[in-house]
Amino acid sequence: MTHFTQRFLLVCLFLLLGAPAHAGLQIDISKGGLQPLPIAIPQFLDQPGGASGGRIADVVAADLERSGLFQILERKGFLQDPASLWQQGPNFKDWRVVGAEAVVSGSVTDTGTEVTADFFLYDVYKGTPVGKGQRFSAPKKDWHMVAHRIADEIYARLTGESGYFSSRIVFVAQRGDKKWLSIMDQDGLNRVDMTEGRSLVLTPRFSPNGDNLFFLSYVSGEPRIYKWELYTGKKSLVDDYPGLNSAPSWSPDGSRMAMTLNKDGNPEIYVKDLASGQLSRLTHNAGIDTSPSWSPDGRRIVFNSDRGGTPQIYTMNADGSSQTRITFEGNYNAAPSWSPRGDLIAYVKGGGGVFGIAIINPQGNQGRNLTSSWMDESPAWAPNGRVIAFTREIQGKGSRLYTIDLTGYNERAVPMDPDINASDPSWSPLLK
Amino acid sequence: MMTKRFHFLAVTLLTLGLLSACGSVPEAGPDGGQAGAASGRTGDDGRALGRADGSAGALDGRTAGMADGKMNGEPEHRIYFALNSDEISSTSAAVLTHNARWLGKRNVTVEGHCDERGTREYNLALGQKRADAVKQFLISQGVEPSRIRTVSYGKERPLVNGHGEAAWSKNRRADLVP
Repeated sequence: MTHFTQRFLLVCLFLLLGAPAHAGLQIDISKGGLQPLPIAIPQFLDQPGGASGGRIADVVAADLERSGLFQILERKGFLQDPASLWQQGPNFKDWRVVGAEAVVSGSVTDTGTEVTADFFLYDVYKGTPVGKGQRFSAPKKDWHMVAHRIADEIYARLTGESGYFSSRIVFVAQRGDKKWLSIMDQDGLNRVDMTEGRSLVLTPRFSPNGDNLFFLSYVSGEPRIYKWELYTGKKSLVDDYPGLNSAPSWSPDGSRMAMTLNKDGNPEIYVKDLASGQLSRLTHNAGIDTSPSWSPDGRRIVFNSDRGGTPQIYTMNADGSSQTRITFEGNYNAAPSWSPRGDLIAYVKGGGGVFGIAIINPQGNQGRNLTSSWMDESPAWAPNGRVIAFTREIQGKGSRLYTIDLTGYNERAVPMDPDINASDPSWSPLLK
Repeated sequence: MMTKRFHFLAVTLLTLGLLSACGSVPEAGPDGGQAGAASGRTGDDGRALGRADGSAGALDGRTAGMADGKMNGEPEHRIYFALNSDEISSTSAAVLTHNARWLGKRNVTVEGHCDERGTREYNLALGQKRADAVKQFLISQGVEPSRIRTVSYGKERPLVNGHGEAAWSKNRRADLVP
């Protein structure tokens, strides 16, 4: 049988099996531990006056590499230069030779105040573009975001799911005896410190639209929940009940807050309507109920309770009905977080001297351990529900933020100044 | 080429918002009056807040004074708890009974603390339960409820900076701050 007929038969087979239309270049991200896709990302061509082509391509490459789904090819072996690539299109043979399955061609224009990047993505083996060319612009100082948007676009075209690179992470930074709120791009760059560390702050949480934060502060001497409007810088006290006010969690439509209050003499979960201020109590038992997290449709809440003797994960309806335990393995399951896709719950699973991040479906089935260490905690989902950021405390050496793919592969430390301890991450939605 | 210009305004505003927030109201808190009143009321607590990782030296300095105070009939103002528990042991009950007598008409803040194991929010709740258990015990011994304030620091304020049971058993505690 000739090579050609073999190929022909394979194509027929695919057609019979109903292969996807885009069968050429597609990464199946539902499987973990796959060979990463080799992709060539040459410097973007600088148009006259421009100087950002190199650094934008570098950030695109770094984003894709960190996802674990792409192998970024060394530029020095490339046979076609960026100018020729941009002006004539890819010489596909040259890219096959270096082992690329995909190649990105880009061009950058810097005007006085803006940076604009155009890019094309090609399937090297089919010799065709993947999607159309696309342009992104931003104020010059936000050139990183142009790169993140391009990386999101490439990720989406090659995986079929939305990316997560144009997003930020808010977290608690610590140096010495000070803890403060800090915010950064998801890749750890462009960190901005938000508070100065004069009072203890904990557990910042992005609002669903990314415009606001809830966080816990002891500025008054008591643990209280505050709201921070990021556009205006305005901060306000959300509630002021006696005792503990903690674990704020925004409903997906932004209208309600679930939280833990002690005002009735025991830590219980309440939901507050933010417009009317109306408060309803959802849990009633002698144990601890805390760490509520909403399902993306706003109908269910997952939470942590030790009513059965040890901390375990439970779900309930948003009105408090149908409280159901969903974890039975391990003697310390806590800090649940409902995935933005709705299909999974991430939580901290402890036992035997280790604490790791685990996932389980909302019915309590198909649990899997993703990480294990001396102390992993505070799982927070990326906006596309494929990646989880968490805090890893290294015994005696402080804490760092890490990310893990929900397949359990590709555990990475988030780059951070070495003298800063980081904890309590919350991941923003995709910035539009 | 398809042109899609996307909204960087949001990002810019976000950054500006943050920066201006830092510049104008860095830490003042949303309600200066309330914060001021509270810190006036809990002056000792204010100092405690400065010690984010619970410098053992500073805390020991404070409690050493209290322990010494026993000569004047002042009890030790600290009790310890078992793992994940808010139960008051018989030893602790004796310490608290002594505290209740000594407090008389004084106001007291009960701080609940946990060891470094476990999640932040669970430990905040557990610290509160420990403080509340102490409060209920003091009330049972005749201390007026209105004189007792409780606050949980969860695992944020260890007494001892160690990473084994020896340290953890000292950090699972409630401190009474008269």
